[in-house]
Amino acid sequence: MSNILELHSIHTFIGQFHILEGVSLSVAEGSITALLGRNGAGKTTTLKSIIGLRPPREGAVRFGGADIRGRRPYDIAALGIGYVPENRAVFRALTVEENLRIAERKKDDLAKRGDLIFGLFPDLKKFIKLSAGQLSGGQQQMLAIARSLVPENRLLLIDEPSEGLAPILIEQLMESIRSLSAHTTILLVEQNFRMASQLADYYYLIDDGKSVQNGAMKDLVNDRATVQRYLGAS
Amino acid sequence: MTWLNKNRNPLITALIILIALVLAFSGKSPQTTSSIILSGVTLAALYFLVASGVSLIFGLMDVLNFAHGSLFMFGAYAGWTFYTNPRLLFNTAPILLAVLAGLALSPILARFVALPRWARWLAVLFGIAMAIFALRDFPIDKLVAMGMSMTGKIIPTAEAQEPIATMLLRIGGMFIAGAVASAATATRSAERLEAPMSRTLGIVGGLVALALITLFVRDLGEQAILGTESNWRFLLALGVGAGTGAALGALMEWGLIRPLYARPIYQILLTLGLTFVFDQVVRFVWGPAGAFMEIPQWFNTSSQDCPSDNLLLWFSQHCDSIFVMGRPFPSYRLFIILVGAIMVLGIALLLQRTRFGMIIRAGVQDSEMVEALGINVRRVFTLVFAIGAGLAGLGGVVAAPFLGVYPGMAMEFLLQAFIVVVIGGLGSIPGAVVGALLVGLARAYGDHIVLAGIQLPWMTDAISGSPAIARASTVLIMAIVLFLKPTGIFGKKE
Amino acid sequence: MNQFIRNNLGYLLLLAALVILPYALALITGDPLNKGLPLFVQGLMIQVFILAVFALSYDILMGHTGILSFGHALFFGTGAYTLGILVKYGQWSIPAAIVAVVIIAALESFVIGVLSLRVHGVYFAMVTLAFATVAFILVEATDFKKWTGAEDGLHGIPVPDALNPALHRTEFYFLALAFAVMVYLLVKLFVDSPSGRVWAAIRENEARATSIGYNTLVFKVQATIISGIIGALAGVLNALWNLSATPQTMGVDTTINALLMCIIGGSGTIIGPMLGAGVLQLLGYLLNLWLGSVWQLVFGLIYILLVLFVPYGIIGTWRAKNFEWRAMWRDRLQRVATGTGKSSG
Repeated sequence: MSNILELHSIHTFIGQFHILEGVSLSVAEGSITALLGRNGAGKTTTLKSIIGLRPPREGAVRFGGADIRGRRPYDIAALGIGYVPENRAVFRALTVEENLRIAERKKDDLAKRGDLIFGLFPDLKKFIKLSAGQLSGGQQQMLAIARSLVPENRLLLIDEPSEGLAPILIEQLMESIRSLSAHTTILLVEQNFRMASQLADYYYLIDDGKSVQNGAMKDLVNDRATVQRYLGAS
Repeated sequence: MTWLNKNRNPLITALIILIALVLAFSGKSPQTTSSIILSGVTLAALYFLVASGVSLIFGLMDVLNFAHGSLFMFGAYAGWTFYTNPRLLFNTAPILLAVLAGLALSPILARFVALPRWARWLAVLFGIAMAIFALRDFPIDKLVAMGMSMTGKIIPTAEAQEPIATMLLRIGGMFIAGAVASAATATRSAERLEAPMSRTLGIVGGLVALALITLFVRDLGEQAILGTESNWRFLLALGVGAGTGAALGALMEWGLIRPLYARPIYQILLTLGLTFVFDQVVRFVWGPAGAFMEIPQWFNTSSQDCPSDNLLLWFSQHCDSIFVMGRPFPSYRLFIILVGAIMVLGIALLLQRTRFGMIIRAGVQDSEMVEALGINVRRVFTLVFAIGAGLAGLGGVVAAPFLGVYPGMAMEFLLQAFIVVVIGGLGSIPGAVVGALLVGLARAYGDHIVLAGIQLPWMTDAISGSPAIARASTVLIMAIVLFLKPTGIFGKKE
Repeated sequence: MNQFIRNNLGYLLLLAALVILPYALALITGDPLNKGLPLFVQGLMIQVFILAVFALSYDILMGHTGILSFGHALFFGTGAYTLGILVKYGQWSIPAAIVAVVIIAALESFVIGVLSLRVHGVYFAMVTLAFATVAFILVEATDFKKWTGAEDGLHGIPVPDALNPALHRTEFYFLALAFAVMVYLLVKLFVDSPSGRVWAAIRENEARATSIGYNTLVFKVQATIISGIIGALAGVLNALWNLSATPQTMGVDTTINALLMCIIGGSGTIIGPMLGAGVLQLLGYLLNLWLGSVWQLVFGLIYILLVLFVPYGIIGTWRAKNFEWRAMWRDRLQRVATGTGKSSG
């Protein structure tokens, strides 16, 4: 099995603040890998470093074998990386359809992938002409994920999808993400450990901007001490 | 119901405006009313052309462009010069293109040259010296003076024109000056290194070729332009004004504003400095006095049938004015209104119906996310800056036959544009439309009142004033709107 | 006391040099104080002092509170015109007119501050520019020619002989110098006061200042009022010096000048803008001699280069360099003293 994404000890600064002090991870093709850690450990910054929004100053970011560190975000995204930011960052002033169309890299992307997208998220088809600001929180999250599916991305970076969602919606969301993984590789940042543990095959733990531990998810589930220590909850 | 709720503010405003209009015009004859309204809408069209760019640019990239009035002015001067004195353009454009070509070398220079700090300063000095040397004794005043004396006529002699060989030397000198300057400021950044060498060479080569072609066709080109009938020449001048504005805007964004996105305060400091520089350039090249631009034939014919009785008749007569409600109104001003209306429609279509517009609307909310979707946002920024600047440049040429060209027009229109966007809501295009109409109507009404004089019941004599009072009074509307709703009529909450 | 002198040695030396300057020049050239070079240099320096105060008032907003005003000339002009009109046409005494200037400037800045400081930061720049431009239009308007003199400006402000800058140049020189020193001390007092610390907090991060519990609007308006009053007082002195008030005092060029002085000298330092005023005034004088009317264009280009490449000004850059330089020497001396020879890096 090959790794689609590898980070080698990346260091990222925001202003003068040294946020990531050596994060390394690799994501196997076709897997769901969870990136775990406390609030402020640097999970979101890691995702932003990969996509190029917070370019790392040192280290290497390899995607499909090529070093992409220092390239511009649009360039990196065009290689086949979809980014789903936290807080459901859909474009509220645009309609649902426009939110999907804007992600097209070729003219017929949405036409080709429509069945897959609306199969996963039938609600979106219902509200296609509505402006995204009028959708509920859960629907906005679905839309944000759907948007990343419009072009054929080889890797999805999903940041805190369950944040602020009702439990019933989280169940639905997990179902959708699980079926997604048949089509693409996923790197998932998730605070909700129960959700992450049920979805992911592998995990990486970071703390204070450094990688501390990684392995198969099923091992971590049984390792109460580590979970307690780094995530503070079970 | 939700619709009512959502649009509460605009609706309330519309109601207030309606009441104000009824009150203002009650007791006035329909002729007076219609001519005030038409004058107001004429001004509104011009204000919109400036304000829409300010709003678009601020909405997308959070840069308040204080140089927008100057772009309007430069558009006006460029269009007017093209119309009356193309020789000036043909003899200066190659030199400017040469500097640009030199500056455009910077990605390549950054790859091979890394000067130490002291050498950078030395290079700057050398570049400046080179530029001064290359421009020495350039007969700019003669070239300009020609336009003042020989409006729109073909000049058979080579008056004020330097021989091609001299011009070539100047072009070469300026190219070197530009290249030295770009070597002085070149920094090695990952992004620059990535730019393919062939593209850079293509840009540089293209600019150099353009400079040389412009130089070699200067006589033919001038004759062709001056030989063109005034109407078509005017339409071409509109294009030149818009193009100049757009090119200047794109250059500004790319060369000056982009390096400062991390330091927002310095961006507006810079744009304010540019208004000053542009003002000085115009005074230096064209002199502090203004000039009038002739109204093209279509709107400038007088015969015994004139003024035309209605719009349909005007199409065959091309009179300088048309009867509207029994009172003649200059037909050129109707053209200004038409241009304004077309641009409102054009911007609306661009924003609502095209993919590019969709990207702009999305970028207004979150430009980082747009970039993460694989869209080159920087290019979008530059383009939007160019579009906004182009609208201002177009506005300048449209305004020139109506108001003339003069160095003060930059400040005047910047001021009105700011009042418009504050009233309408910074970043909102519908806001710019409503704000422009409000300010335009208020100005026209103010002009009318000020000329006719105000006589309130308890006064024995009417007070009359100068147009300056009307110009100044629009700021009161801005103060009222700021007091009631600081974010403007269409503005969103912070 | 010794400590005070040691800490402020540079400032005290500068002050002493400025006090001695007219006498030194008179001694060197052999001209009396009110003729030739001494007279001329005093005139030049009086303008520097006036502009230094104006620049300082501008920097209260830009450098200390982080508010950008593009219409600061409004206050300068307000001071000049109010004094001129009241003294010439109202037959007011100068002190009474100055009280009126303070009140009017305070009201103006209060209204502008309250109107425009509630929204996005750029509104202040935009609204101040609008108000200043409107004031410029109004003083140039023919409607008020009786009082403002329209485009020509208001000339021939009557002042008592003791204040006449032509008759008593050296006295006026010391008056302007004393004024500049006083304003310097006053601004230092403000900046070091609790309010000043809130200003700094607003400058660094307004959202955080709000979240700590400060009503930032109050403090921003306070800064605006103080800055407006000082700016207007500079305008008063300018009117007394020229015995006139012209539309240019209201013009956008005046604001740009203030901005430029702050940037050249270093915004956010108290002495920086004052030195900037000196540099700008002398440079302007020399460039004008050398280049004629093109100097304004050259000035604009210098401004743009400064904004792009030297954003921290003379003082800011010097302090940064000075800090590095001192650190380097301290490090070297320590190494010599401890005899380690090599630093640990």
